[in-house]
Amino acid sequence: MANNIRIRAGVHNLTDPQVSDLRQAYGGLQAISDNRGYQFLAGLHGVPSWYCWHHQGNSRVAQRMEIFLPWHRAYLYTFEMGLRDRVADVTLPWWDWTLRSRQQSGLPTIFTDASNNPLLKFHVNLPNTNPAIVRDTGRDPGDPGDLPTQDDVDTALGRTDWTDFCSALEDIHDNVHGWVSGDMGVIGTAAYDPVFWCHHTMIDRIWWLWQVRNGNGNIPTDLLDVVLAPFNFKVRDVLNVNDLGYDYAAGQVAIPVGG
Amino acid sequence: MARKTRSSSGGGRGGLGVPKRIKAPGRIFTSKPVKIDFAGPDHRYARADLEIEGVFHGEASYEGRVFLNNPKADETTDKNLANGYAGSFNIFGHGGCLGDPGHCEVNDHKREAYDFRAPHPLTPAFKRVTITDALRAVAKTANEVTITVVPIIQAANELSDTNNVFRFESMKILTYNG
Repeated sequence: MANNIRIRAGVHNLTDPQVSDLRQAYGGLQAISDNRGYQFLAGLHGVPSWYCWHHQGNSRVAQRMEIFLPWHRAYLYTFEMGLRDRVADVTLPWWDWTLRSRQQSGLPTIFTDASNNPLLKFHVNLPNTNPAIVRDTGRDPGDPGDLPTQDDVDTALGRTDWTDFCSALEDIHDNVHGWVSGDMGVIGTAAYDPVFWCHHTMIDRIWWLWQVRNGNGNIPTDLLDVVLAPFNFKVRDVLNVNDLGYDYAAGQVAIPVGG
Repeated sequence: MARKTRSSSGGGRGGLGVPKRIKAPGRIFTSKPVKIDFAGPDHRYARADLEIEGVFHGEASYEGRVFLNNPKADETTDKNLANGYAGSFNIFGHGGCLGDPGHCEVNDHKREAYDFRAPHPLTPAFKRVTITDALRAVAKTANEVTITVVPIIQAANELSDTNNVFRFESMKILTYNG
């Protein structure tokens, strides 16, 4: 794409070399123990750093911090750049749980293949939390027929008010976390599961689809300058995915040119 | 909020174990009957919502299945209109307190005027379930409704009270004209 915009693709559309690159990038991040590595980045979401934003549409606070979507967009961006530091052309793919094939078989095989696969699990090393967590991540997925459907997504996309849309999409998001269950099923450990990032890329993509239809006019202005700690962004900085250097494509193919 | 006592054996040598799906539901909530004259066949509305304020989300993750006028609904009840099923909401739970004492206590009522820190992450949640079809069905034959919420636990660890999973402050039904 023009202007060096990188394209995020669906997991179902990845070629074998793309899957191989993605695994290499994940594996590279997982092998780093400092603040560039998987352990550190996953720990920003839940335990031990707890920066993430969920469930903040309540009326108990003066400012309803409905920044679930912007915060996770900044988080995905940071993680994706970390992947690209390991393998230059990698992008985060989205896991489309609405596909008929997913409604029949659940998690895509790139996340379940048990042979030396960094997309299957991660070894969490948190000996100093209370209580400690030192073990591999695990999952306990539900019936594939219980995953959200395209009708559920379309209903959310049909909500034109920001608060209404956020509430509907966050609920779909919550449902999928619970469906995967295991570590993905609770906020504290969800981001340690490698599938977390591709689930959230799907959520981010749905938000972008909504933005293409509705713009950003409904987002409360008092949210625009909220800082998305610990990232180098405010809400207004992450509204346009092209400004962050990426876009979403349903499919892409390179056309051979020349003789 | 009472803190769930930690099990010294939970998770074995690795500490906290992997959260698991629980077959038994959490404690089922059924409201007292409330009048729904505003939802009768003579009243036009395009949409009806059940709004739940102050939902606790500090421990297990669950699906809250909402049934109208079916106080016997449980985890085996099919999710269809004939059973009064109106829709579900989902809570992505915190996973229990993974900090020192006080870490998960929400103290929003104690904050100073010049306290610009962000709200506590466990400030209770707000959930909305659109129940239009189910409310219309009930209102055809009744002028009262009960709300039953069946919590289906999707992920819980040793730090979660899986019986008392659905905790909230208030709920109400709203209808909107088209």
